[in-house]
Amino acid sequence: MYHKTLSWRVFNVFNIAFLSVLAVICVIPLVHVLAVSLSAKSAADANLVGLWPVDFSLEAYKATINNKYFLGSLWISVMRTALGTALILLVTVLAAYPLSKEPREFRGRSVYAWLFVFTLIFNGGLVPFYILILKLGLMNKFAVLIIPAMVNVWLIVLMMNFFRGVPRALEEAAFIDGASHWDVLFRIYLPLSLPALATLGLFAGVWHWNSWFDGLLYLSRKEDYPLATYLQTVIVSRDMSSMNFTIEEMQLLSQKTINAAQIFIGALPVLIVYPFLQRYFIKGLVLGSVKE
Amino acid sequence: MKPDIRRTWPLHLMLLPALAGLIVFNYVPLGGIVMAFMDYKPWLGFDGSPWIGFGHFRALFEREDSLQVIWNTLVISVFKIIFNLLVPFGFAILLNEVRIRLLTRTIQTMVYLPHFLSWVILGGILVNFLSTDGGFVNRVLGAIGIGPIPFLMHGDWFRFTVIVSDVWKEFGYGTIVFLAALANIDPSLYEAAEVDGAGRWKQTLHITIPSLLPMAIVVGTLSLGNILNAGFDQIFNLYNGMVMNKGDIIDTFVYRTAILEGNFGFATAVGLFKSVVSMVLIVCAYRLAYKYANYRVF
Amino acid sequence: MRRGMRKWWSAALVLALAAMLVSACGGSKNGGSSDGGGTQSPATSSSSGSNSGSEAGSSDGSRPTDSPYRDKYDPPVTITTVWGIDPALTFKNGETIENNVATRWALETLGIRIETLWSVTDTNNAFVTKMRLMMASGQQMPDVVTVGDEQLAHDLIDSGLFREVGTLFDAYANEKWKQAMALDPHVWDPYIRNGQRMGIPVLDYAYNHDYLLWIRQDWMDKLGLEAPKTLDDLEKVMEAFKYNNPDGLSPDQVIPLSIGFKNTFNTWMGDPSWVFGAFGTIPEQWNLTSEGTLEWGSIHPGAKQALETLKRWRDKGYIPAEAALWDENKTAEPAVAGVAGIIPGPYWMSGWPLQDTAKNVPHAVWKPYPIPAGPDGKAGRHGTRFTNGVTLISKDAKHPEALFTYQNYLFEHLADPEPGSQWDIGVFKGYDYDLDENGNPVYGDDIPGGAVNINRYWLVRDGARIPDAQMKALLRLADGKEPETRLEKELKNNYGPETPLAAKVLLSQPDISYIDMFSGPPTPTMKERLDYLKKIELQTFSEIIYGQRSIDEFDRFVENWKSSGGDQMTKEVNEWFEQTKVK
Repeated sequence: MYHKTLSWRVFNVFNIAFLSVLAVICVIPLVHVLAVSLSAKSAADANLVGLWPVDFSLEAYKATINNKYFLGSLWISVMRTALGTALILLVTVLAAYPLSKEPREFRGRSVYAWLFVFTLIFNGGLVPFYILILKLGLMNKFAVLIIPAMVNVWLIVLMMNFFRGVPRALEEAAFIDGASHWDVLFRIYLPLSLPALATLGLFAGVWHWNSWFDGLLYLSRKEDYPLATYLQTVIVSRDMSSMNFTIEEMQLLSQKTINAAQIFIGALPVLIVYPFLQRYFIKGLVLGSVKE
Repeated sequence: MKPDIRRTWPLHLMLLPALAGLIVFNYVPLGGIVMAFMDYKPWLGFDGSPWIGFGHFRALFEREDSLQVIWNTLVISVFKIIFNLLVPFGFAILLNEVRIRLLTRTIQTMVYLPHFLSWVILGGILVNFLSTDGGFVNRVLGAIGIGPIPFLMHGDWFRFTVIVSDVWKEFGYGTIVFLAALANIDPSLYEAAEVDGAGRWKQTLHITIPSLLPMAIVVGTLSLGNILNAGFDQIFNLYNGMVMNKGDIIDTFVYRTAILEGNFGFATAVGLFKSVVSMVLIVCAYRLAYKYANYRVF
Repeated sequence: MRRGMRKWWSAALVLALAAMLVSACGGSKNGGSSDGGGTQSPATSSSSGSNSGSEAGSSDGSRPTDSPYRDKYDPPVTITTVWGIDPALTFKNGETIENNVATRWALETLGIRIETLWSVTDTNNAFVTKMRLMMASGQQMPDVVTVGDEQLAHDLIDSGLFREVGTLFDAYANEKWKQAMALDPHVWDPYIRNGQRMGIPVLDYAYNHDYLLWIRQDWMDKLGLEAPKTLDDLEKVMEAFKYNNPDGLSPDQVIPLSIGFKNTFNTWMGDPSWVFGAFGTIPEQWNLTSEGTLEWGSIHPGAKQALETLKRWRDKGYIPAEAALWDENKTAEPAVAGVAGIIPGPYWMSGWPLQDTAKNVPHAVWKPYPIPAGPDGKAGRHGTRFTNGVTLISKDAKHPEALFTYQNYLFEHLADPEPGSQWDIGVFKGYDYDLDENGNPVYGDDIPGGAVNINRYWLVRDGARIPDAQMKALLRLADGKEPETRLEKELKNNYGPETPLAAKVLLSQPDISYIDMFSGPPTPTMKERLDYLKKIELQTFSEIIYGQRSIDEFDRFVENWKSSGGDQMTKEVNEWFEQTKVK
């Protein structure tokens, strides 16, 4: 077979070496950030930290986590990500199925499609959106974090294209058996689209987990902040060229180590979840199991 | 199967939630676009702010450096779009060839990590890493007799650095879509090909790549929406006096002249200009894909 | 049948989803308007009719008895406000910005209830954005708001939603406050519209960001060098630091002078503008010329000489090879790492970040020195204005005078009270100080539960500051005096060890600070041209220093600057300047 040939073996060695080098290059900065987060402030401020901590210290993590808002915001983030992602997936799947039909099967499909795509490109900007949120009474409500984000056109287009990969023969057979569109969607399309769902769930989840600006803008109380917003307020994204600050603030604020720790605390859950989702990307698993 | 309403009403119903959300959260605020034609003052609102027609658009194009800034944006974003499509595409295929599952997974996890670093952090790291004064890259290049190369302090190198570092940061994340598409390929296709005696190379050429093409077309078309977004956070954190000429892009320019000043009207006008350009390109790409690949992107 | 059921069930699900959306949005109609304390707060009306009380005789006897002003309001009055909370600000005992020791104090002591419409942690410009959105969505403005962002201040004033305050200030402010304000009559300038004072400047300590040079004293001692008085001296010091380094560092490791100019040539730490100062100008700001007009400092002929100097220093390796990429924080890195010899920065830098140097290089000692002079004996640095923001009062405020009750108290008791005042050892027990079992005051981490910065709890940022008070107190400390007053104790407790000495060095050159003389709202040409002009300036200056353009390009830059709107801008700026002088 082909994978016994010499040329394939040579290619294989080079391929693995190449990909591994690439992977290492991708990890180095993160290792550096990790090292900074575990170093003493004096060493970090002096840019003396490379890939290994200097004067090991957990202060930065303590400073971030030993805060009465931390646990609460973590919980809000978990809720937001779970509910928000579920909502996005539901809306996306429901919208992607009709849009994946050919115009001859579903008249009006193209009109719908362009209605969706239009909003991908044009938007009214911050001011009208803020007024809308205010008028809808969503201000300072948890719902403001998930409801406005429930339609994600980019994901709908992606899902729609995955749905198109589902063999037509399956659904035609089902229709002949008298199945409805609901049956076809939930019993044929969805089970066949687990890799797609995993992908979309990942994208939606990461988006929800990392979003912070909406929390800052639409929530007034720090107790209501999701983790990403809370982390933004622990540090530091300060315009250093303005001169409105004093020594007390600088002592508190200019902490590279906290900044670095924050990245880790924020990214860790995503990094943990990822390998579990990965199994759905493994080739053949899904189709193979459905085909029998 | 006639497309009569009795058969298709569930389809309309399925679209209802998304459509409702779209209308409330996208179409209603779209009215704000009128700001592009106003000297918008927050305290005067939409009713009271004076109309100025195309004044903001004139201001956008009248500066001595307007064309240069738009050109910078285009150059940077076009290369980013191309490589952010090709690299994940190629990477997914290469990764697909690795037969050691644990290795596949590890590599995949590693390359997706940089996506989670912000440009504020990465900017600082790049300045260290690419320094002409003892930076790692220049030391390596020096060892083989090249350089030092002013990656961040020379206009052309700056563009190069910005493009490469962006691709480096995002390709792992972009690969996920293609991996999912790979997982969707029917394994029986490969089995059949193997029976026919097709080698690995032929299988890749005739099965893997054609199966991934639709997804590549979709991702590529959608990314045209970013044709005038060259990456604000990245460039804002990296640009400096030495590369202003070739590194300043529309978004950094708008940030300095409109966002900081609270000039919503100008910012909206620039946004509208960008949207129109994107729309034209996306429609063209849609048509081309339909005509030549017989593929309907949306 | 079964299938039919499922179909209906699914349809119901979708409808429920849509309904959820509608209801989530519809919940608003009656009163959910959450930002809302503001829009519908009934509290403001609490006591407007009840001012005929007997306690009209306030501390200032000249005040008419029918004045609404009280030293304490009974029943209490309400002032509404909004907060941009500093990310670094901490609270204890479960308090919040809405309800804390300072708001309780105001209610108990002054009869003023501080009501918060909203607060936002002020990161990434969130406060400014939210204020603008508040205006855009037509929400009720707070009675009192303190704004740091200049552009936002101008916008708020121009919105017409805030009232003239000059007459209120004249009528109600106490002597201490008035004296503090009179230290620099220009503080009002930015907020004057048609001769009316529309906002109360928030006073800050003088010289807060005027810089001096911090030099490695241990290096100079080992090399037997004197402190540099001129640029020529300085070059000798830098050369010795580099090629004869006392710590044994090789020349390519040493950064004799750590400066950067990534975004600007005029900043606060690692700042190169004093090199321009040595030739009689400060770049990127409006300086007063000998003819009494204002001029953009970057086109002054002295700038050309400064650029030549910087280029020479770069060629010799005295400044960082990539100074064009370095921002303020980056310039501090080699200083803290112990490989930089000199760094320009504010007088308080020994408290941050330089105190960390000793952790990396134990024998390192930083000392402050004056700004060296140029060939003609000129020296210069940028100066700091006495203000850091403005307080505005809404047109609809029912009790605008209550703000003065509040601030008068703070100027009397907090700003710089004599020894023996009520807040001598601290303001709020258990917050910024505490007493140990012997009744002795303790500070900082010795307070049970830790210290909090209560100065950010006040209605007006930092409470009350008298511009020259801090420097005076520091000079007393520098002369070896034991801290007695509240302010002296605070300085002793919170600032770095070299700070008093640095203050003395700073004030040894009182006349070299160039303050940006233009503080009005942006002129029309400025709005259109300033960004472009700054951009070509930054590019030209950087490229000259790096030898990518010849020094003679400077003259072309000046021509270009003038013809591309600079001249027009200069004209407008001088018109504004004339108008402030007339007043």
